[in-house]
Amino acid sequence: MAKGEITINEMMCQGCGFCVQYCPSNCVAFVGEKMSARGYLVPTLAKPEDCTGCAICGWMCPHMAIEVYKFQQEPVKK
Amino acid sequence: MGERIWANGNQAVGWGAVSAGCLHFFGYPITPQNEVTEWFASELPKRGGSFCQGESEWSVAAMLFGCSGAGVRAITSTSGPGWGLMQEVLSGFAAAEVPGVIVNIQRGGPGQGTTLHAQTDYLSATRGGHGGYKSIVLAPNSVQEICDFVQLAFYLSEKYRVLGIVLADAIIGQMAEPLEIKTRDFGPLPEKTWATTTMQGKRPLRQIMPGWVIKPYVTGMAEFQKKYEKMQSEVKYEAIQVDDAELVLVAFGYPSRVCMDVVEMAREEGLKVGLLRPLTLWPFPAEVLHKKASQKGVKFLVVEDNLGQMIDDVNLAVLGKAPVHHLGVTARHLPTGSGMILPARVLEEVKKLI
Amino acid sequence: MNKEKVYSLPKYRIAYPGLLCPGCGHGIMANLMAIVLEEMDLGEKTVHVGGMGCTGYVTFTLKVDSTSVTHGTGPAIATGIKRGLNGKPFVFTYQGDGDAIAIGAGALVNAAARGEKITVIMANNANYGTTGGQMAPTTLIGQKTTTTPLGRDPELHGYPQRAAELIAQIEGTCYSARGSTHNPANVTKTKKMLKAAFQKQLDGEGFSFLEVLTACPTDWKKTPAESQKWIEEVMMPVYPLGEFKNISRKK
Repeated sequence: MAKGEITINEMMCQGCGFCVQYCPSNCVAFVGEKMSARGYLVPTLAKPEDCTGCAICGWMCPHMAIEVYKFQQEPVKK
Repeated sequence: MGERIWANGNQAVGWGAVSAGCLHFFGYPITPQNEVTEWFASELPKRGGSFCQGESEWSVAAMLFGCSGAGVRAITSTSGPGWGLMQEVLSGFAAAEVPGVIVNIQRGGPGQGTTLHAQTDYLSATRGGHGGYKSIVLAPNSVQEICDFVQLAFYLSEKYRVLGIVLADAIIGQMAEPLEIKTRDFGPLPEKTWATTTMQGKRPLRQIMPGWVIKPYVTGMAEFQKKYEKMQSEVKYEAIQVDDAELVLVAFGYPSRVCMDVVEMAREEGLKVGLLRPLTLWPFPAEVLHKKASQKGVKFLVVEDNLGQMIDDVNLAVLGKAPVHHLGVTARHLPTGSGMILPARVLEEVKKLI
Repeated sequence: MNKEKVYSLPKYRIAYPGLLCPGCGHGIMANLMAIVLEEMDLGEKTVHVGGMGCTGYVTFTLKVDSTSVTHGTGPAIATGIKRGLNGKPFVFTYQGDGDAIAIGAGALVNAAARGEKITVIMANNANYGTTGGQMAPTTLIGQKTTTTPLGRDPELHGYPQRAAELIAQIEGTCYSARGSTHNPANVTKTKKMLKAAFQKQLDGEGFSFLEVLTACPTDWKKTPAESQKWIEEVMMPVYPLGEFKNISRKK
């Protein structure tokens, strides 16, 4: 069950792959030859169910391309 | 009437700076302006200012850039070799339109030259370092004028966002004369809306960049051209008995003091000699020279302690309408660094020409 | 399900696209500097001094007052700002290796000697990146650059310069350290060093210095991933990480 999700801004992304390389849950990947309008190969959140919203991809991205969200968990009903 | 003291030209730099509300000096030792640095070292801490002896003239020019760019008046002073070292940064001032006042107490050049007076930086001061920019260049010839022109340099430098260069020489710097310390008011100045004073949550960021990164190159250069045209209205000169003169001496700095004597001596002998003394070397008083050159039979003698620098601007002003002659460093009374161009020698040349 | 944004463009960054090469270490440092300025509540009180080169592009993307004039003058400009505004603003530089320890060595060493209350950050990517990859003081022995096409040879080109150790020797320095940006764990350690360096200025202790190893994939002719590996395997043995000086004269 996904705890978080990310968005990758294709107009900022330059395809360096740090988000892919450093995601502790390995949920970001280059899928096929998906390319942005700027001509860079851009990754996607390939396994969204494994995203924890840790934001490592966000601050390791040199190109300000990533936003990270955490899902607010439902409180446990007693 | 301000306080009257006895001071030398170098000390007058300091008095002029503090009269203009300048409390920050960044400098480096170099003869013949060490009294300037030493004056600031002892006087600024008393006034709550800061004195910094930097590690090179290149660095102190950058310190001046930081301080002026933060909207705070600051000054530096140097001579030939140090002046050369500053040029890269001064070009940056011009590109970034950051004001700044630099005093050059000239010594013999090129290279290490002499540690004594000369006028070998005229072209360098008026043409600038790399990039072809223009600066206000003022040429005092007395202790009082140094004090007043330093203040004028701050005013014009901030009015137009250009460098304000005060070009003196070792004789003017080291001679002692009475000085009236008075703050001169030259008029209102625009607010420094470009200064990096920190945002404080009150305004958007300000970036000062010394190059064409935000504004396109040609747009920026066109704006500079307009600015330089506006600056022509700041021309200042002193004309002594020029109206009926058949021979006009043109001089600045210590040779202009010499030429004042020559005018008196020549007139006593019935020779119609006058002196046109530019106070602003840039903008140069070309118009008044051109007008005088149009009078029939007029001749010009440019007296300057170098191999011929201001004569270029006199020739550009005169445009061939009258003969322009030169008396330069080779006319000094001694072959050493301490030789001077003296009144008798100038009068001798006047008599040959008139 | 509601979602909460936990990371986006830092408050003190401006999203100009395409100013850096893919995988550029400066981009990571820019994030870090912006985040630390926000966490330490310094953004509104800062005047930043940029370097000349790709570090200048970083300056563009920082949303604080900033200035620069010529290659190498950063610590001198910072001196002028700090003294001119009577010590009130927070002043820090971000310079490249050539900027800081080649042409600017005089300015850097003397600002440290004077104990100026500023912080200098030097990005070490073992070459002059902006101009196409020439040898820098930090180029490694054997490393091929455009001006050492056969590899750096100590006989011809001298030895690599370790800035953090050099600056630590100077009495006016109160903090000197070296960090790296080659993986998240090291970026986290570098963030602590950055905060320590900034705190020294806030405490009025004196001159603080941080050298950071940053990738330059384009001029190293490596992929971003290979570049990060090169930092760890080849640069770090020559440029060890850690704090070389951390003293307090006031406490």
